[in-house]
Amino acid sequence: MREPPLPSLRDGRQEMPADTAEAIYDTLWSTSEIPTRAPEGIERVMLAEDKLYVVLAVVLIIWFGLIFFLLRTDRRLDTLEREVEDRIPDNQPPA
Amino acid sequence: MPTLTERLTKGGSPKVNVERYRTIRTIVLVAVTAVAAGGFLLEIPRIQILEHTARNLYFHVPMWFTLMAAVLVSAYHSLRFLQTGDLRRDVRAREAALVGVVFGILGLLTGMVWARFTWYQGTNIWWNFDPKQSMAAVQLLIYGAYLVLRTAFDEPQKRGRIAAVYNLFALVTVPFLLYILPRQAPSLHPGADGNPAFSDFTAPSMRWVLYPAFASFIGLFWVIYTQRVRAALLKLRLYGDTD
Repeated sequence: MREPPLPSLRDGRQEMPADTAEAIYDTLWSTSEIPTRAPEGIERVMLAEDKLYVVLAVVLIIWFGLIFFLLRTDRRLDTLEREVEDRIPDNQPPA
Repeated sequence: MPTLTERLTKGGSPKVNVERYRTIRTIVLVAVTAVAAGGFLLEIPRIQILEHTARNLYFHVPMWFTLMAAVLVSAYHSLRFLQTGDLRRDVRAREAALVGVVFGILGLLTGMVWARFTWYQGTNIWWNFDPKQSMAAVQLLIYGAYLVLRTAFDEPQKRGRIAAVYNLFALVTVPFLLYILPRQAPSLHPGADGNPAFSDFTAPSMRWVLYPAFASFIGLFWVIYTQRVRAALLKLRLYGDTD
């Protein structure tokens, strides 16, 4: 398969080779005129800068998921530490 | 609360101060979130070839600074273990090295992806034995060997001593493998022979994110490391062994 030419990041459109699956989708898009309406509401933010903010949203969702996981593990450690402290006082060597 | 000098000479407690941990954890989680947002939102100069990938600087470089901080922490606790024979020191050395290696692997992978679409754009090359990348991979193997070495011993004190000595030697290789050797070789990585180093080309506006990113990711290392130490110390108290 030949390498497609690398699209420019700045002019906002990509040149697709004519003989690939992408070209078929591209034809659909160009005939149905879906993205021609001016963006409004949240789209005005999210579609700017070549849709960079969509990536930010994805990254933050993953990060908040990881934070949740980290905090939950801490809570389990809190419980375990209390239980162990009750059963084996700190100054006593392990059995 | 002991000062840093006191901690380094006499050594703080190898136990975890949970109150302090919670405070720092909150600060770190907010800071990493702010760095991620700032990394995307702040304007950057558009440079040919790099384009938006210049933003990788905020995430890729801190991985390596974090590895370096982690192996320093690890070597410190190895040294303290050799002085005291306290197995909790050995636990801390192991966990710091382990979490550090994870950050190093992330640094290597992010570097590969970045290089593929900048240095190797249009060539379909993912790995070309660039000296910086190769030396970084060797560095990770050295610390991987530390973790494997530990599994070879059953007796905790003996395992701790041998691993600690190896760990101190491993630390000595870090400046050579991550800085000195790759900078003397023809590498595409910034800072290498003929390439300007980070301080020469990083735009002042980017430093507002980059420097907090260093601190935040080292902080994130500390949070994950401390969490793992808490779990490992519980295990040590229950079973009297570290691994």
